[in-house]
This record gives sequence, structure tokens and C-alpha cells, in this order.
Amino acid sequence: MRKTKPRVAFFDFTDCEGCQLQFANMGEGLLQLTELVEIVNFREIMSEAGQDYEVAFVEGSITTESDIKRIQEIRKKAKVLIALGACAATAGVNGMKNRFPLELAKSRVYGDKAGTVNTIASLPLHKVVKVDYFIHGCPVYIPEVLQVVKCVLMQKPYALPNYAVCVECKMNENVCRYEKDQECLGPVTRAGCNSWCINNGNRCYGCRGLVDNPAADAQKDILLKYGLKADEILQRFNLYNDSLGEKYGQEFK
Amino acid sequence: MKYAALKKENLNKWLEYLKSKARLYAPKKKENQFVFRPVKNVDEACLKYIPTVIPPKKYYFPQKEKLLKFTVEPFHTAKAIAEFEEFILFAVHTCDIAGIQCMDVAFKEGPEDPNYLNRKEKMTIIGIECLEYCDTHANCASMATHVPRGGYDLMLVDIGEKFIIHINSEKGERLVRNVSYIKEAGAEDMAVLCFVREKKKNIFKEEFSAGLDRVYQAFGDGFKHKVWQDVGRRCVACGNCTMVCPTCYCFDVVDDMDLSLNSGLRYRIWNSCQMDDFAKVAGGEDFRKGRENRQRHRYYRKFRYPVDKFNRYFCTGCGRCSRACMAGINLVETVNALMDGGKLNNA
Repeated sequence: MRKTKPRVAFFDFTDCEGCQLQFANMGEGLLQLTELVEIVNFREIMSEAGQDYEVAFVEGSITTESDIKRIQEIRKKAKVLIALGACAATAGVNGMKNRFPLELAKSRVYGDKAGTVNTIASLPLHKVVKVDYFIHGCPVYIPEVLQVVKCVLMQKPYALPNYAVCVECKMNENVCRYEKDQECLGPVTRAGCNSWCINNGNRCYGCRGLVDNPAADAQKDILLKYGLKADEILQRFNLYNDSLGEKYGQEFK
Repeated sequence: MKYAALKKENLNKWLEYLKSKARLYAPKKKENQFVFRPVKNVDEACLKYIPTVIPPKKYYFPQKEKLLKFTVEPFHTAKAIAEFEEFILFAVHTCDIAGIQCMDVAFKEGPEDPNYLNRKEKMTIIGIECLEYCDTHANCASMATHVPRGGYDLMLVDIGEKFIIHINSEKGERLVRNVSYIKEAGAEDMAVLCFVREKKKNIFKEEFSAGLDRVYQAFGDGFKHKVWQDVGRRCVACGNCTMVCPTCYCFDVVDDMDLSLNSGLRYRIWNSCQMDDFAKVAGGEDFRKGRENRQRHRYYRKFRYPVDKFNRYFCTGCGRCSRACMAGINLVETVNALMDGGKLNNA
């Protein structure tokens, strides 16, 4: 007794569409998924753009007044709204804009045309509408996406990991980046990616955002110990993190 | 035969032989550290190594272990793994063998843990005795785990041109019996072994500033000691210290549905008392708030609670927690500071 498949739509705001690309590149998993859901709107893989949907995957940050109206419309239609990727979940790299006065940011990017640009601070979706599920990462990690999809279909909450990337990294028995004289944001970054970057020889850039209760001053001690200067530390943290200054607040500013 | 001798030139031949008997795991170089890995090429097995990133624990208590297969409709459950394979752990340090003994105590306490015991049953341990310190992080002399104290099938000691092999079980004996190039150790070999052990006494010195009785006492008195504030302030709660510990056995259990949404697997996954949510319960109450309390708990789970409960210290002196801590929280310094009433060196 198969119930009717939930209709799923994909939308994007300010982003690179890379998280949707992860989805589109899923391979066999995507075929399996279409057994469970009906994709009605996903411009990377189909030409139809259905407006009748129950589940909305939304990529990207909110950066204009018209974005606010549009996301509110999507929220009204969707029974379930999922923030897909760092831009939607934490404002991601778009959040860097928030560290400068808006006028300065505009003139840096648009020069003498800055006056014609209508933009506001970069916001993650949950600052504007209610978000039911968060999928962190830049880009999203497909095994986690599938976990979230299953939770959506079973109408269960997704237990977002609230521990550091180090935990997964150690289970994967990687050599610590600090052992190799590289700085790494693993100790304060939310896990769930199975230490994807470090497994592949890179370091952690903190794209999944900070754990709920990051030990920012202890992490600062570590980075200082490994020879980073305060402004370099700030740069490492700022790439993805805490553009609204809610978590480590004054400590790094 | 109680002691056998193996010429070094025959080691690789013997490793090939072991490989033919069961799946063989040995330490292997990974970047600038070491890891236990299945032996593909016997040349890669390292006998001289700094304790591996994670202990061989992963083979008898895997990071993520399938427990149960289930279907929802019609409801059915079955063991996830019907039969386990025989395996040999080669070149295990005595500290890690002590770790296995600790895990035995924990998992054999009623109700016994069948998953652990099923794997353990298939395991053969071939140890290697350290004749010098691996690095400066170890505290094996204080824990008295720098010398073999049972818990293995075979124990190798490097006496120069040969390995002396202590045969400690029938399982172990089967791997050296009828092997043409492994001979019973002669009187001369045994004399060299005695000499090597004697020499070792001058190399390994207790790392703590006092004996274990005093350590146990210090933990009894030191629950509110300021050292825990120092440690907590520096800790980032990354969980490295517990992930690499050979005696940490906490785990979480999760059910994972496959995409049919009608069947799935039940897993257990390593868990850590250093995680923010570890001691949180429904309603959000947290029984161990703060990194200082969680670090203190970790130490007490090594030096006080298991001594009361099992009459055994759950620190093996392997030094992994100090080695893996990028904040530089050092076990020997912490324990010494607790005893001396002093402050941590780099606090």
C-alpha cells in the first residue's frame, strides 16, 4: 500500500547551486529516491517547473527584499522546508558581507554602480522563515542528505551532530592536520560530513558551522600556539562562520 | 615449548605463513604516524612504531558496528553478522594488550556483550615488547604496562639477531609449532633475554611523581582541585582523547533505515563523554555541564572509578590522549599537578 509520493521542489537564492549539483550527481541514489518522491521542480535536471509541492529544498542565502517575499511564498506552499547547504543554513560565504558596513561592501563589489544595487545583510533561511531541517556543508555531503530525506519521509526529526569533526576524523584514523603543521577548524566545527575533506588530504575550513557550544578561546589558544596571528585566526573563522556574531560574539571581534 | 626463537631473516617468511592462516593486521606507516591495517605486503609491517592513531580496539570493538538487521513489515530481526572471521593482530604493544584486558573486564561484566565476545573469540594476539620508550608521551612504567603481563598468545622480544617468542596459549603455540625455522629457545637465548630485560630497568622510570597508591589517593581528595579548571579552560571538547583511548568503551546505538523505508540496520557507534550532549537528558538537563567537569570525568574513569569497581586502572600508559591533544593537555602533567597541588606547567 504505497501512499502517493510526496512532491519535491528545489529552489535557490544567493548561492552557486553546487549543493543541488551534489544532488544531481548522486547517481544511483537519485534513481532510488525517485521511487520514494516525485521531483516536480529542479532546474538543474529537468525543464518542468511545477508549483505544486509539499517538500521544498532551498539552497542559498537571503540577500534582497524580494528574496524575503519569495521565500515566504515558498514557505506558505511547502509543508516541509529544508535548508540545503551552508548558504541556506548559516549564510555560508555570503555571510562575509555582514562583517563590513553594507555601503562599503556594495561599493567594493559594484564600484560606482553601487547605488543601483538593492541588497540587505546576508541571512540564513531561518532568520526569515521557519526551517524544518538543516543540511549543513559547502557543499552538502550526500550520505547526510539521504539521512535527512529519510527523516523527512518518516516524519522524524534529524539529529544534527553536536560534536566536533575531530570525532569522525579520529574514527577514520586520519593523521591530525596539526601533526602536519596545518591549522584546521575540525575541533570547533559541527560533524556530520564524516571528515570528508581531511579524508582526502585537505584540512577543515569549518563550512558546516560551529558546534552549539564552541570553545572559541581554547581554539584560539591552539591556533596561536601553532603560530597564527590574531587576524589570521579571524580570517580562518570568518570564511564560513558566525556572520551574525551570535556564537563567539565579542571574543573574536 | 615455552620460549621459541625466530631469526630475523625469517620474519617475513613467518608473516607470510601467518597471513595464510588468518586475516593479519599489523602496524603500518601513515604519513608521519602509524595505523593498524590489513597486511597486504609483509614488508610494510612495522615492528618499531609510536602507538597507532587509534588502538587495535577497532578490530574487536569497531567504530561503527552492525548489530542487527530488521524489517518492519512483516516484523523480523536477525543478527547482522552471522559469522566472524579469524584474525591475528601482529606486533601489539604491551600497553595495548593491557587495553584489551581492560575491555575484557568491562564487556564481560554481566550482562556479557556478545558482539565483543564473538569477535574476541576469533582473535589471536601477537605482541612485541618495547625495549625503549616510543616517545615522551607514554606513562607505561607508572602503569606497569611496559613489560608483558599476560593477555596475549605470543610475545616477541627483539634480542638482536633473533626474536624470542614467549608462547602463552595453545592458540599461539599452533602458530610456531611445526614451523621449520622456529626453534625452541636455547639457554644462551634466554640469557640474552634476561640481559635485555635487566637493561630495560634503567630505561623505563616511573613517569608520575609518586606510585599508583598515591595517585589513587590524590583522585580521592582532588575532586575540587583547581587543576580541573585549568584543564577545562584549555579543552576544546574535540573528543580526540576518548576516541584514541584503548579503554574507552562508551557507545551509542542507532537504527538506520535503508531507502525502502521498510528495512534497515541497527548500529553501535563510539561515543564520547567529552561531547556536549553526552550527559544531556530529555528536557535539556545536563548532568555534566562544562568542559572542566567532562575532562575530570575522563580522568576519574581511568584512575579512580574502575579501581573501585574492577580493582584495575583503566589507563594503559600508551600516551595517546596526550599525543592527540592539540591543546597540549598532558596526562602525566595533569596527574602530577593533582598530586603535588601545583599548577600545570603550560597552564
